[in-house]
Amino acid sequence: MTDPAVAVHGLTKVFPIPFHRQSIVAVKDLNLRIEPGEVYGLLGPNGSGKSTTLKIILGLVSPTRGRTEIFGRDSRLVESREAVGFLPENPYFYKYLTGKETLRFFGRLCGLRGSALKNRINELLDLVGLSKAHNRRLGTYSKGMLQRIGLAQALIHDPRLVVLDEPTAGVDPSGSRDIRDLILDLKRRGITVLLSSHLLAQAQEICDRVGILADGVLVREGHLQELIAIENQTELIIANASDNLIREVESIVKRSNAELIERRKSTTTLERLFLEATKKNDDARMSSGEGATKQK
Amino acid sequence: MMRTTVVLAVIIGLGLLKLPIERNLAALHRQEHFHGVEFNLALREKLGQLGFVAALSGFRAIVADALFIQAHAAWENTEWGRMLLLFRHVTTLQPRVLLFWDIAAWHMAWNASVAAMNDQTQPRLALRVKAQREYFALGKDFLERGIKNNPDRPDLYEALARLYKEKYKDHERASEYYAKAAAVPGAAPWDRRFSAYELSYCEGREREAYDRLRLLYDEGPKERLPTLIKQLKFLEEKLGIPQDQRIQEKENKVGK
Amino acid sequence: MTNAENTSTLQPFNASTPTKRYRPFSFSRIYAITINTVTELTRLKVFYVLLVFALVLIGSSIFMAQFSFQQEFQILKDVSLGAMSLFTSLLAIVATARLLPQDIEDRTLYTILAKPVPRFEYVLGKIAGVLVLLAVSTVLMGAAFLLVLYMREQAVIHTTLRQMSGAPPDQLADALRVVRSSAFNINILPGIVIIYLKACLLAALTLFVSTFATSNIFTIVVMAFIYFIGHLQATAREYWLHEHSSGLITRIFLAVVTLLFPDLQAFNLVDDIVAGTAISLAVFAKTAVLGVFYTTIYTLLAAFVFYGKEL
Repeated sequence: MTDPAVAVHGLTKVFPIPFHRQSIVAVKDLNLRIEPGEVYGLLGPNGSGKSTTLKIILGLVSPTRGRTEIFGRDSRLVESREAVGFLPENPYFYKYLTGKETLRFFGRLCGLRGSALKNRINELLDLVGLSKAHNRRLGTYSKGMLQRIGLAQALIHDPRLVVLDEPTAGVDPSGSRDIRDLILDLKRRGITVLLSSHLLAQAQEICDRVGILADGVLVREGHLQELIAIENQTELIIANASDNLIREVESIVKRSNAELIERRKSTTTLERLFLEATKKNDDARMSSGEGATKQK
Repeated sequence: MMRTTVVLAVIIGLGLLKLPIERNLAALHRQEHFHGVEFNLALREKLGQLGFVAALSGFRAIVADALFIQAHAAWENTEWGRMLLLFRHVTTLQPRVLLFWDIAAWHMAWNASVAAMNDQTQPRLALRVKAQREYFALGKDFLERGIKNNPDRPDLYEALARLYKEKYKDHERASEYYAKAAAVPGAAPWDRRFSAYELSYCEGREREAYDRLRLLYDEGPKERLPTLIKQLKFLEEKLGIPQDQRIQEKENKVGK
Repeated sequence: MTNAENTSTLQPFNASTPTKRYRPFSFSRIYAITINTVTELTRLKVFYVLLVFALVLIGSSIFMAQFSFQQEFQILKDVSLGAMSLFTSLLAIVATARLLPQDIEDRTLYTILAKPVPRFEYVLGKIAGVLVLLAVSTVLMGAAFLLVLYMREQAVIHTTLRQMSGAPPDQLADALRVVRSSAFNINILPGIVIIYLKACLLAALTLFVSTFATSNIFTIVVMAFIYFIGHLQATAREYWLHEHSSGLITRIFLAVVTLLFPDLQAFNLVDDIVAGTAISLAVFAKTAVLGVFYTTIYTLLAAFVFYGKEL
């Protein structure tokens, strides 16, 4: 049996408060197992212990009790981080470096060099859509661009696991869409993704499995679809239905044991509306020559 | 908590380790005339708070220079008392700067003394002479203390010899100090000659002077300067040296 | 956006993809962090302000013409070397104090340590960056100082030649010798090296303090305090070891100061060097070794504390 991408065994983390007798229990007896290739969402309100758990998995914080492993190697070993890339919450990176220089720095830290590093940088810039902005300093990047360069640096050494802490927090809807597309792309390549978020609608779109943390305790866990499916309800979405057809379906339902709960017009999401509207504007600007930095 | 204890223990342990090394180094510094700042409250009073902190923090030389500039200004205003005080501070801070001792002594023995002698506000000559002598003594004091701090350098010995010669007219002491200067490496080449000259003016020591001058003469052309030759001839006459032992130089050689 | 897929090196995950060999110690990792730190620090405005200030000080001592040339050279050397000492000490403290807090604020610390980079290498790379910066600053200021000294020396030589044009050659040679010896003294160079080592010590100590400090300001205040006490350590040491009449509390206090603080007076040799004291090899070597010793110890302590630090 292959090692799970991430394994958490009985993890407890207690933060003592200096000069007080009480302490903060950030994580309480957590057990997790993330299989290779899946997208796992660690959800919960602010202060539920998500960030702490991620940091312990990455070896940045040490556990009070318990153990975490990445692909079978203990998190506290420096080698275990070879296989993982991390995008922290609200990253600023080095404001005075350009996008390219930032990736070069992180690549060097991972032992990449020369033309291999150069090719890799160009490829990643392309992947995250920052090829046009690679020579601008990070201080001039928007939040979405910072997240994308962050994702690029997380991928610089070809990790098998990527950990994202609140990847879409503070990013505008089109930036969010880009990031979510990137995450799905990673999944297609077989890379395991562990992300934490409190933006539930967005998590819903990409996660395979989720775990819900509250006050440091895992209260629910499982496959997304299983968790949110309302067992005994079915949705039918019909296009071009005439009023007659609808009345027929309703009467069939009335005659059976089932119950019609709701009938309404399908809606698009506000997000899609927003994206379409702004995309039209973007297209108009790009064709008139003003430089937009996004590239699809 | 564990970590804090370990760190503290390491620091204290290393503190004990470095203690002998630092003491050894400090002793070596003192031996080689590296004079640190002597921390004492008298210094703080003299310098004021800012000067004291600056002197302590490794800017001793700059504080001394600033005081020196003030002393210079005091001189221009003929504030002799204030000038004396400032020079005392300057030489306390920088005892290894020969310049400061030298200039301090010069101001005392050459400038202040003259000013005291010509002081219009003092009608009695005796008192003026007394003041002058006091200034001589202050100058001498600076040079003596300067020598104590710089026994390895000839400059202040030479300055003190000059002071004895010109102000006290004490040729014996002058000779003594020129000789001391000559014994220190880096001395001016004329120190030995001057020591002998001064000795030749001392009653009862002409023979000694003659022997020394003769030795110098015998060393070679470098020492056979006009003054030396003149002095030698003078002593030869005075002591009645036999003709065959006298030096063979033309009588009316006019030196430049 | 994914048009790069065809020529991609991002291979789909394959269970048989060999894992890269992890090197437990890597100079290139440390070097990358060092260069990055140097770049970061040269972008700091305070660096340029301090540098300009130092250069102005060095240049301003040209205007000391009212004194004799010996006095002028004395003041020029004292002010320039004092400026160098002040600048390098200040830069060492101010630049190092912000390194760790800045990385934490920018979150780059997390991204760096989430890579296979041992914490020790991170600390080493940071301090190396500061030491390189200090070295470059020292060289720049030293060069400016020597240039100004040389220019003034030449000016005085020309004046002397003019004034003594009728004098006999050996008197002239003597006068010129006096000018030259009061200008440049070869011992100034090891004196500058000791100034640099003092700055290195302060940088390493600042790094150590910053590993457990709560903020940038805290580190700087603590370092100002240490700087002041460090210059008194020599006196405390002598009092503690010689004075037997002081009370127990005083003795304990003096012992604490002696053991905990570095002797910073030991590195202030340049005042006496300018005064004319020659620096023997023994003095230079021992002082230099003490400086390197302190720098190394404080760096190791910083790494040790940082190793256990919760991020």
